[in-house]
Parts: sequence; C-alpha cells; structure tokens
Amino acid sequence: MANQLPRVGIYGLTGCAGDQLTIINCEDEILALFGAADIRSFVMAKSDNTEDEMDVAFVEGSVSTEEDLSMLKDIRKRSKILIAIGGCASCGGPQSGRALEKNWKDRIKQVYGNTKFEIPDAKEHQPLSAHVKVDGVIPGCPIDKGEFLRAVSRIVNGDMPIAYKYPVCVECKYNENECLLLKGIPCIGPLTAAGCDSVCVNHNIPCVGCRGPVIEANVASEYKLLLEKKFSKEDIVNRAMMFGGVKMAELLENLKGAKK
Amino acid sequence: MRVLKLRKKDLKKMLEKISSFGELWAPVKKGDKFAFQKIDNLNDVDPNAGRTILPLKKFMVPPRFSMFRYDKDGYHEQLGEVTDRVVFGAHACDINGLLILDKVFAEEFSDPYYIERRKRTAIIGVSCVPDEFCFCKETNTDTVDEGYDLFFSELGDDFLVWVGSSKGDDMVRAAEELFDENISVKDIQKFIEWKKWRETQFKMDIDLTAMPDIFELKIDDKVWEKIGEKCLACGSCSMVCPTCNCFNVTDTVALGKMEGTRDRCWDACTLHEYSLVAGGHNFRGSRADRMKLWYTHKLQAFIGEFGKPSCVGCGRCITTCPVDINVKTVAKTLRGEEVYFK
Repeated sequence: MANQLPRVGIYGLTGCAGDQLTIINCEDEILALFGAADIRSFVMAKSDNTEDEMDVAFVEGSVSTEEDLSMLKDIRKRSKILIAIGGCASCGGPQSGRALEKNWKDRIKQVYGNTKFEIPDAKEHQPLSAHVKVDGVIPGCPIDKGEFLRAVSRIVNGDMPIAYKYPVCVECKYNENECLLLKGIPCIGPLTAAGCDSVCVNHNIPCVGCRGPVIEANVASEYKLLLEKKFSKEDIVNRAMMFGGVKMAELLENLKGAKK
Repeated sequence: MRVLKLRKKDLKKMLEKISSFGELWAPVKKGDKFAFQKIDNLNDVDPNAGRTILPLKKFMVPPRFSMFRYDKDGYHEQLGEVTDRVVFGAHACDINGLLILDKVFAEEFSDPYYIERRKRTAIIGVSCVPDEFCFCKETNTDTVDEGYDLFFSELGDDFLVWVGSSKGDDMVRAAEELFDENISVKDIQKFIEWKKWRETQFKMDIDLTAMPDIFELKIDDKVWEKIGEKCLACGSCSMVCPTCNCFNVTDTVALGKMEGTRDRCWDACTLHEYSLVAGGHNFRGSRADRMKLWYTHKLQAFIGEFGKPSCVGCGRCITTCPVDINVKTVAKTLRGEEVYFK
C-alpha cells in the first residue's frame, strides 16, 4: 500500500443508503478522501466503477436477500479487508427488530400475504458477520463521518478502525451530562458501544442503541433496572431491539422472561 | 497564613477585580445537578451550589485533549494552548481530591500536562453544608489546609478568607479595598460555632473503620460476584471520581497528510478493555474482579501506599451509579451491616 493508493470499494446491501450518503456528505474532506484512496467502486458517487480486487471494501446494509448474500460473498472474495459500516451491516438494522421472535416466515406472510415478490428469496435480515468474516466495524445509524474518515486514515496507514469496547456512558460523562437513567428515562447507553460522543444524551434524548451492543453489555442488569423503574417487558425489549438487531437478540435470548 | 474577611455582598465585586487572573469558572445548574461552567455573567455564581457532576480533575486532566501535534518535522507540544482559569466554588472534599492527584501526577512521575494546567488554574474553595450523600467526615476530608489559592469560609454576612498561596495573595491584593484584616474574637466564635453546627449536618450512615482489614477478610467473598453481576461496566463511577486518574493514549492521523495528533482521554479499570494485553489475555476480564480492584484500590491499597484512602467522601459514586454500587453500599455489605447484593 505504501507506493500506490489502496483500492477501495464502497457498497450497499439492504438499507437506506444513509451511510454511503454520509460519506458523500463529507464535503470538506471528500477531496482528501479521493486523494488518499483509489476509490474504484462507489455506485452512489460515480458511474465508472471497476469491480476487481480491492484492498478495502466498506459495506453498508443488511443481508436480506439471496442477491445480497451473493454480492457480499463476491465482495469478500476479492477484498483483503472488509469493513461493515452502519447499523444494518453491523447488527442487522431496524429491519431485524423482530429477530428475537425467530418466526420469519409467519411474519412475512402476516404483512404481505401471498404476494409474489419481484426480489426473490427474501430472508431474515442479518448482519454481514452472520455470513462472512468481517475485519472491522464502523457502527452507527448513520455512521459518523468523522469516525469514518479517521477509520480510512487508520486503514491507509496500515491499522484498523478503532473498536469502541466501552459504552456510551463514558463519553456521556466526558460531556458531563446528567444521567437520564437516574431520572427514570429508559436510556440504553450502558448497553451501547461508544464512539458517538453521546450525541443524543447531549441533547437530552435517551440513547436508543444505534451503535449496537457494546462488548460485555450487561443486558440482564439493565433489564432488571428498567423493570424496577416500572417499564414493561415489551417496552424494554422493543427499545433494545430498535437498532440492536440480531446482535441484541443474541443477548436477550438468554434472558429469562425477555423472550415472548 | 493570611486570613481576611470579605463581605458576602462584595463577592461579585471581588470576582470582577480578579478577572485578570483568568477565565472565571463556577458551579452552575445543569438540569437538576451542577457543573463547573465558564461564567459570563457574575450573577450566575452561587457560593451555595451543591456537588458538581464532574470534580475538579476536569480542569487539570480534561476528559479528552491533544498532548501534541506531529508532522514530518517532528512534534509540537500543545501546552501553549492551556488557558489561565480561576475556579470558584471548590469544596473541601474536591480540593482533597486534587491533593491526591498532585501525588500521582506532580511528584515521582511528573506529568507536564497536569502540572501546566494545575499551575494555571487558581482554586478558590468555599465551605459547604453536607447533603445526604456526603461522607467526607468519614474520610477525614471535610476540611482542607492546602491545595487552594483562596478558601472562603462561612461567617454569617461575611466570608472568612484563607490565603493559601502567593497567587491567592496576589488576588487579594488586586481587590485589597474589599478585604478586612481585622478578625474579631466574635468572628472567631462565630466561625467555631458554624463549624460545630456543620459537623452535626452529616446524615449518612456509613462506617469506614478498619476498612483495609475488612477488605483483607472479604477478598474472596462471594459478594464480589454479586456486585459484578449487577455492575453495568459503564465506567461512570470512575469518570466522576475525583481521584480516578487513569487514561488512554491514541494517535489520530490526518487523512492523506503526514501529520496527526497524539490524544489522551480518561480510561478506567472498571472498563472491559483496560486490562487487556497483547495476545488477547485480559487480567481482569470479569466485572467482579474489576469491582474488587476499584474498591480495594480506593479503600485499602492506597492507604498502604500513601497513608490515606483515595476516597474523599464526595458522594459522587452514590449519586451516579445507576444500579446503586458505591462506597456506601459496598462498605455496608462488606461489614455485613445490610445486604444490598443478595
């Protein structure tokens, strides 16, 4: 990588494309980005895309169809480093908010009846890591452009993006916020990976966990705490699952009473 | 030590006169709590403010800051960006916390970033009345004799002003006409009476007698597992503790340029990654082990090293932990007085 720019592809599976949009919205830095990397494929930004070997692939969106899956496998095969960007790619996204219930076929029938789909073989929404090896994650809904640019810089310099292994509460204290949980507001900052600079709580809005569960998230203790604060089981699980997706479902599954 | 009197109604005038000593910071309401904030309007200064969310350490070791910039020509210290500040409204417990940080950062292993900010930050202490979470009397940090530039003690319509440093003396001289040198016998009696009354205001039921021995006896107790089960590992206790001082260092390289910054941020032994070493081993991978470490460090190990606990009784762990793990509940549980962690 030292002499020639790293070849980069930026891709989207099933999602709102908000992470790719965030990258395009790096208006002040986009020249530096295109100067630091050879962006060979970025469908949202340009039309002359080359699909061959990549040094780094950034992939947004969940795996929600067979088409997504084969695209992901193809990207994985020709990329040295694969980075999941955004909540859908890292956790499954809001579309996997019912992952805990496991009854994919019933749910799709309930919503769509016997409609024939143009997109074949829709499947339970999964994060990339359910299907391929993921080397790094830039979580968030959407990703933070500063974090993305820092991650690119680290990769260009031969390092990996920082994985935030502590919860939002740490940054929330850096910002000297009043603890919303203590005020009886159902904030799931303690369960959620930091890196967002506690942006929601800075504006007095409780954390909804868009960056996904932090390593060692103590779901059982927060669940008990929220029950003590008179929130219903359903409210707590819905809140945790709003962005926590498959990753949160894995944690809740072992929790007595949380599953329906 | 020089001791003077200042009329309470002259406080604003005095603070105005010393404005050349640096930006004024004081506790201001933030939601239901207080936080040290930069003062633009002197009417916002409240000498009766309660405990702040973060202690004084945020002035000396900011939660996040750049130590230096680097580029292809070398590295460039960023100490020049440290501003002169006057912090009004520091309580005795928090100044005692600073004295502990002085031991850590300004003695054997001196930290230039701490020392520069400490030097440039004038501390004006104010006497306070304990609330239901204060237990500084139990940690012998309810009074303070050093570590401040000025200390204002309650004296009815006046403050009794203790001058604690040459900078404090300079500040007094900048507002000389507002201070009265004559402390009468009546004043002294009034001061003693108030001190005695304050002693009666401690409400918290806590007993830290023989804590180091109790830790020794309880070091393998199952209660630590229970505490670990409950702990959210959110690190909040460490962030708000006046004496917690661990930090992490990271490099941020500018995209596409040969330059970057070396940054420092607060870290904590209560967090998962803290004891993770190369090769993937984590010396304190369980929350129970980390809780045990934190509390033994505060109430046992530090005493062995420095002769006093590294808890100053400020009550922040009590007002901060969402799941009620704090010096009070842990001490009570270890003493078997009350079972908080069943």
